[in-house]
Amino acid sequence: MTCIPAKSLLESYVDDELDAAQTAHVAEHLATCASCAALHAQLLELRAGIRAHAPYYNAPAGLRERIQVSVRQADRQARRGAPFWRRMAMAAAILLAVSAAWNIALYRSRISSADLIAQDVFSSHVRSLMGANLVDVPSSDQHTVKPWFNGKLDFSPDVRDFAAQGFPLIGGRIDYVGGRAVAALVYQRRKHLINVFTWPSAVPAGRPELDRNGYHVVYWFTNGMSWWAVSDLNAGEMRQFEDLYRQ
Amino acid sequence: MREKLRCIIIITNGFATGAWMVWSGGLMEAKPTVALFEKTMLPHLDAAYNLAVWLTRNEHDAEDIVQEAYLRAFRFFDGFRGGDGRSWLLAVVRNTALTWLRREKTAPSVSFDEEMHGQVSQAATVEAKLVGRAKFAVIRNCLDLLPVEFREVVVMREIEEMSYREIAEAASAPIGTVMSRLSRARQSLQDCVAARMKEASK
Repeated sequence: MTCIPAKSLLESYVDDELDAAQTAHVAEHLATCASCAALHAQLLELRAGIRAHAPYYNAPAGLRERIQVSVRQADRQARRGAPFWRRMAMAAAILLAVSAAWNIALYRSRISSADLIAQDVFSSHVRSLMGANLVDVPSSDQHTVKPWFNGKLDFSPDVRDFAAQGFPLIGGRIDYVGGRAVAALVYQRRKHLINVFTWPSAVPAGRPELDRNGYHVVYWFTNGMSWWAVSDLNAGEMRQFEDLYRQ
Repeated sequence: MREKLRCIIIITNGFATGAWMVWSGGLMEAKPTVALFEKTMLPHLDAAYNLAVWLTRNEHDAEDIVQEAYLRAFRFFDGFRGGDGRSWLLAVVRNTALTWLRREKTAPSVSFDEEMHGQVSQAATVEAKLVGRAKFAVIRNCLDLLPVEFREVVVMREIEEMSYREIAEAASAPIGTVMSRLSRARQSLQDCVAARMKEASK
């Protein structure tokens, strides 16, 4: 080993940070090189000087006890503090979970507004067939029926006759659906009666059940008006009737 | 009926979630015990105090610093990965002391070489002339004059007798940096001691 690498390794050698092979090489070099040996001696001298004359400050009496006291106090505070906050957090989490579950259950069991209307439509239809109050204005003339509603409702329903298509208009009346007065138009198809309820409304939420006890409902929305038709007719003919109205 | 059943299931789920959180919260609470902390850290109290005195050059403040460092170490004991613990504790002591030095603004701001080769203080010279105490005073004085980042590696290596790896951990520096700082510090100390001895022998 020459001087250059030996010098660069000298401090690591003194600090005992070299592996066995390197240590041996440096030791070998030091035995033959006077200048490196002098540097080595200087380093050892400095170390001896520091170890002999620089004091090692031992911790004063009482410091250990003071540290133990303060650490234990901090530990007690941490233990006293943590469970309270954790308990509050847990309570909040449980409350949240329960309220979320409750709301989901409530939402799922909620009766939609469209369901309520369908319920009213079925009831009105059945009631109209029971008594003598099927029509207040018996007429097959749409130009008689439409003006009859004037002054009775706050809107003017679109009344049409489909006699040519096999759905003759037989009259109209005022009825009560979804919490308001609505126009009810009555059509006939062979021996079957069709009640059509119409009033101005927005599209209601939900998807109602459309078949009940042999009756069938179709509903649609045009120009801000709700149309609900109900009859014991089969679904195909009900759709045909709806199509006539929507044309 | 089906709705009711679904409702019951959902509420049960809510309770199960809550119970799980309480349970896992209980697991998270498993904190290091004071006993384990004291067993691993208190044996290094002298090392902590010695480093604090050498960093601050003030025995009274060193006591406060060590006490604060132990509290900090206890708070961050989760981060201790086992082992000897001395380097880890000394890193905390060092950070606490450096914070204190910054606050007190007593850290030497004068450049290294200027301090080393500048005039020797009157007191040091007088002290150095006293036979027997001469070298003690010189070496202490020269060490005190080193900037803190050089002084700490010398203290850790020569007084605390730590390995390069341990010093690197305690000083939060790469091993290469530790080696170069140690080398520069030794050079400066040799120059300083030589200058003082020459001064004293006049």
